Amino acid sequence: MLQFNQVTKRFPSASSPALDGVSFSVGRGRICGLLGHNGAGKSTALGVILGMIHPDEGEALIDGCSVQRRRELAVAKVGAIFEAPAFYDYLSGWKNLKVLTAYSGGVSEEEMRKMVVWVGLEKRIRDRVSTYSHGMRQRLALAQALLPRPELLILDEPTDGLDPEGIVEFRQQVLELRDNLGLTVLLSSHLLTEVEQICDEVVILQSGRMVYEGLVSGFSDDRGFYRIDSENPELTHRLCLEMGGELYGENVAFPSRENAADLLASLISKGARITRFAPETGSLESLYLRHSRAVLNPLPTEEGKVA
Amino acid sequence: MRQFFRQLGWELFRLFARRRSYIGFGVFLAVELLFYYLWTREKSQQDMEQFISRVAGGFDEYFSALTLGFLIVAFTMLLLGVVFVSLIAGDILAKETEDGNLRLILARPVSRFRLLLVKFISCQIYTSCLFLFVGVTSLGVGILERGWGGGMLVWTPELPRVSLFDWNEGLARYFLAITGFSLIYLPVIGMAFMLGCFKIKPAAATILTVAFCVADRVLSSIPLPVFDPYRDYFITSRMTAWLYLLYQDIPWARFFEASAWLCGFGLTGFLVGWIVFERRDVKS
Repeated sequence: MLQFNQVTKRFPSASSPALDGVSFSVGRGRICGLLGHNGAGKSTALGVILGMIHPDEGEALIDGCSVQRRRELAVAKVGAIFEAPAFYDYLSGWKNLKVLTAYSGGVSEEEMRKMVVWVGLEKRIRDRVSTYSHGMRQRLALAQALLPRPELLILDEPTDGLDPEGIVEFRQQVLELRDNLGLTVLLSSHLLTEVEQICDEVVILQSGRMVYEGLVSGFSDDRGFYRIDSENPELTHRLCLEMGGELYGENVAFPSRENAADLLASLISKGARITRFAPETGSLESLYLRHSRAVLNPLPTEEGKVA
Repeated sequence: MRQFFRQLGWELFRLFARRRSYIGFGVFLAVELLFYYLWTREKSQQDMEQFISRVAGGFDEYFSALTLGFLIVAFTMLLLGVVFVSLIAGDILAKETEDGNLRLILARPVSRFRLLLVKFISCQIYTSCLFLFVGVTSLGVGILERGWGGGMLVWTPELPRVSLFDWNEGLARYFLAITGFSLIYLPVIGMAFMLGCFKIKPAAATILTVAFCVADRVLSSIPLPVFDPYRDYFITSRMTAWLYLLYQDIPWARFFEASAWLCGFGLTGFLVGWIVFERRDVKS
């Protein structure tokens, strides 16, 4: 459904490319999570998919149609929600839907009404958007993204600022859309648990490069991940490295999940003043840390050089 | 085509639904009333009486609702026209880009050219409505003061001589001139719109346009021979073309020449804006 082919984008004011030869694809009916730290290139990637950002090289294809060459045709199959969607505050939710859908060729009132009911905004849809809460704006954003019915739904940090109930509800709605309508979803989020719970696959971007693309469920890492805090971190990190560990930010990965007690005892016996030793629940978090944070938190070696 | 008009309709709806759109109407009305006050003061009336008696004869005949309306419109537009038109045209795209509204629209299957065209035309329609409002309210104020009927006297430094019309022809010329306003402000719209297509603040687009028009006006007014070869290139001197419609005998050829030039300038502004906007990255 979506192919992102060798996309490179450099912004004139930036020293490094926002996207550097990034390629990934999302199959029809799949939910793909787009992960990465701030500035990793997630929003730029979404901008390229929607034709709002022009790549220097490469292209995005939606159902085989190039966004860069035939934008209107390609984007006709897409609905998008942005972080903090900016509606016309002085108009009602209903009028906002009217204005926005006019740019997609218009939608029947009946279809709009059904969508408003589905997102649960029927009681407030005639009120001005300026009176809406953040959660209601997100519901309206979902409604506009689904009118007229898209095949690919792009969600940019959709649950930012929502309360826990709102997040759960939103998650259910996305799954329902995939299950009932067969929608393909590309979800950009900082919330690993959210991505883990609803995504089939994940793409991790780091400093404009794609560092991982694969299944969430299929991911397995036999290594043991531990969060280790100590009063003498330099020594502790050095000892971890000597014991075959790899450093990922504040986490350390050891070749095996077993022997946690032995590891701890060994570290303490060698002088590490451990204040916290907690096994991490591998899966997506460890995957993300492994691919994303490692380079962000280089640790000094004994010689004072960056490892 | 139907889709285009639907989009234009909703864009106009959106534009007129904003409360601040009506602030402009209110400001114009306030300034009209200020000029009404100034033109009906005893000293002004005496000066007008002397002037009209000298050039036309009957003061009561020619200091009519139409003459008063014309004076109010001319001075109001001179004071506010460029500023307000620049504000609308500079704001219409730049403000939406800044606020993020544009991202929701650009995520839809609409070309940037069409989007800009819809906004440009709605800007022009909005401006025309505003000018019509100014024309009707100024005439209304004139009628309240001087009553219905009488002749119309028009004189400005740009006119070769005083124009005198009876009530019916005066009324037709008055509204023809108001329509002409919409046309002559096209270059201001085009320029502010073009600047709004760049990555700048909405206020910057307005300020730059106003600054350009003021500089253009000042330079075109300098009576030095060195400027003579370039005098035709000043847009503000071309913008007096609306006064041709108030000449005793309308010089249509000169009017159309000036109009074509002004339209060309305005549309060039639109096209440059489109090229810039087409190449621009729209980010959050």
